[in-house]
Amino acid sequence: MAFFCFCVLLGCSKNKPTDRLHETVSSQSMDYATKFNIQEDHLRVMEPWPGSSSAIEYRFENIPQRVVVTSTTHLPYLELLGLEDKLVGFVGANNIYSEKIYNRLKSGKIIEVGINGKINLELLLASQPDLVIAFDLGGESSTLDKIVEAGIPIVYNSDFLEETALGRAEWIKFFGYIFDESNLADSIFTGMVERYHQLKNLTQNVTERPSVFSGVVYGDAWFLPGGKNWSAQFIKDAGGSYVWEDNLTSGWLELSFETVLDRAREAQFWIGVASINTRAELMAQDTRYELFEAYQEQRIYNYNKRIGNNGGFDFFESAYARPDLVLADLIGILHPELLPDHPTYYFQKIP
Amino acid sequence: MITQYFDTSIKKWRQLFVGMGVLLIALFALNISLGSVAIPLSSVIDFILLRPPVDNSWHLIMAKFRLPKALTAILVGGGLGICGLQMQTLFRNPMAGPFILGISSGSGLGVALVIFLGVEAGLLFELSGIARSWIMVCAAALGSFGVLLAIILASVRLKDSVTLLILGLMLGAASSALISVLQYFSQATNIQAYMMWSFGSLGSLSWNELMIFSVIIIIGMIMSIGLSKSLNALLLGASYAESMGVDLKIIRLLIIINTSILAGTITAFCGPIAFFGLAMPHIARMLFNTTNHLLLTPLIILIGGILMLLFDTVSQLPGIEATLPINAVTALLGAPFVVYLLLRKRNIHYTFDK
Repeated sequence: MAFFCFCVLLGCSKNKPTDRLHETVSSQSMDYATKFNIQEDHLRVMEPWPGSSSAIEYRFENIPQRVVVTSTTHLPYLELLGLEDKLVGFVGANNIYSEKIYNRLKSGKIIEVGINGKINLELLLASQPDLVIAFDLGGESSTLDKIVEAGIPIVYNSDFLEETALGRAEWIKFFGYIFDESNLADSIFTGMVERYHQLKNLTQNVTERPSVFSGVVYGDAWFLPGGKNWSAQFIKDAGGSYVWEDNLTSGWLELSFETVLDRAREAQFWIGVASINTRAELMAQDTRYELFEAYQEQRIYNYNKRIGNNGGFDFFESAYARPDLVLADLIGILHPELLPDHPTYYFQKIP
Repeated sequence: MITQYFDTSIKKWRQLFVGMGVLLIALFALNISLGSVAIPLSSVIDFILLRPPVDNSWHLIMAKFRLPKALTAILVGGGLGICGLQMQTLFRNPMAGPFILGISSGSGLGVALVIFLGVEAGLLFELSGIARSWIMVCAAALGSFGVLLAIILASVRLKDSVTLLILGLMLGAASSALISVLQYFSQATNIQAYMMWSFGSLGSLSWNELMIFSVIIIIGMIMSIGLSKSLNALLLGASYAESMGVDLKIIRLLIIINTSILAGTITAFCGPIAFFGLAMPHIARMLFNTTNHLLLTPLIILIGGILMLLFDTVSQLPGIEATLPINAVTALLGAPFVVYLLLRKRNIHYTFDK
């Protein structure tokens, strides 16, 4: 950590010349992120898409001026770094929460180059980007290959493969490097990590750890984070005990309703009930939800406090970049006495 | 003399029915006692004998989850089986099934419209206090009955059953195409919700829903038994049936309405459960060596219920916390069984070559 701060200080002491890129960046490994790092003269993405065995190295000769991103989760990094004006294209405008970016889209400064993550090649070319930041869940690369063929460079962002919340938030440095704002990215991330640890320290000595579960049933399957998933880590750091904390999966569990009822019936908090906004809606979906104590005690929360005018969920947009806010919310819910002045940011109790 | 043979035959069938009934009850008990949560046998017995429960959680699981699910499985299995039987006889085609007329695609379209476009409509319904699961059920029902209406209108005009079959396929193809368009323009979470629906689900019916579901299905089953005699006549050929005084147009209409109500209701509540309706008539005909619908219809209700209970028990993967989608299990276990029967019989000479 000390070494890391030292690097940041060094970086800050220089005025950066725009003609010589990335001069101030020395080779550094990331503190939490494991899927990318920054080398002497290039950016290395270890696992560009799920299951990929070889890393890709990216070198940038110029700072990109016209960029297209493909996921709402890329937007908060650009906003935190003050780079909104470099964004010229986006895929799936109706998911955007950020008012700033949505307004730019409305005024035509950002072109919608496709819907729901599917890039329309002609619209993309029309937006004249000099860089596309894309993600690939596997098997989508045929469109992406075409973009490369058209002479537009693509950088793969695989932040969704990170297994820790701080690791995912550290991808701000990825954006920082691309746009030669590494120092700013470093200082933003350092501040965030500090706030996260301060919050986490608040709950270190709590004697009571309320039990928590999440999710709703779809068809016959109830999806829940595994015990090693980053959401489980959040609950732990917030001084709660996740009902499946002894589970060893880092991905997601797909359980039957009766299993969830058996283990979580007496759990105190039910946090994250998808798009459901009232307990009446829960009843409308399945009356058996009332068997949970958290339902009877009215301790159900969703993450829908911030929904944009056009329907975008801020939680899905910016929460990955702001783990400190997520943790503060969870502490506010589980241990309100520790953060008496914190109105929740993403989460809200459902009536 | 001949009455003597008659009596032994009746005795044989009676034994078969009693045996199958016992098997159904045994599997029903097995289905309730097994599931992803391990419940000790003593608690299961307490539950079945209506004794006061020891652990409340286990009692709740059996009363609110396993019991309605097992009842749903029996009704779905039997219902889909007789739909398949009636369609195969009506179209004289061993490859026909309950969804051959586009009924499942129709309800799929209804559900897709609600899931993909229904955010605003859904809000409206929520304000009026109608439960969301009911919206899905109504959408699916409307979709399948829309297809049904088109088919009925056509069946009045068209003389030929094969033309009707092709019409059904066309309607199905058009609905599927519309669903893909809707999916293409939708968000990942909605696509996932639709996917989950299309996997089929026996366990999502609450007691309230099950009440309505069972009433409709049981009415449909009774109607099917009533139709059996005419189906027997149809099996011998359309002209033969007419010579026996069967009004072909009316019977065709009644069969289509009956299967549509059964298959449409099942799809509305449980999603499109594939394979079952197609395979069940073959299994019944090969196992019991009869083409008499008066026997086949109740036999299929029983064996359909038995097999669906069995498949559901397997899909719950006893002892493991996850479940398999019922749609996968039915085909995965059902297909080898049909293949085995086919190989043993060498041919299906009950085919409709008359």
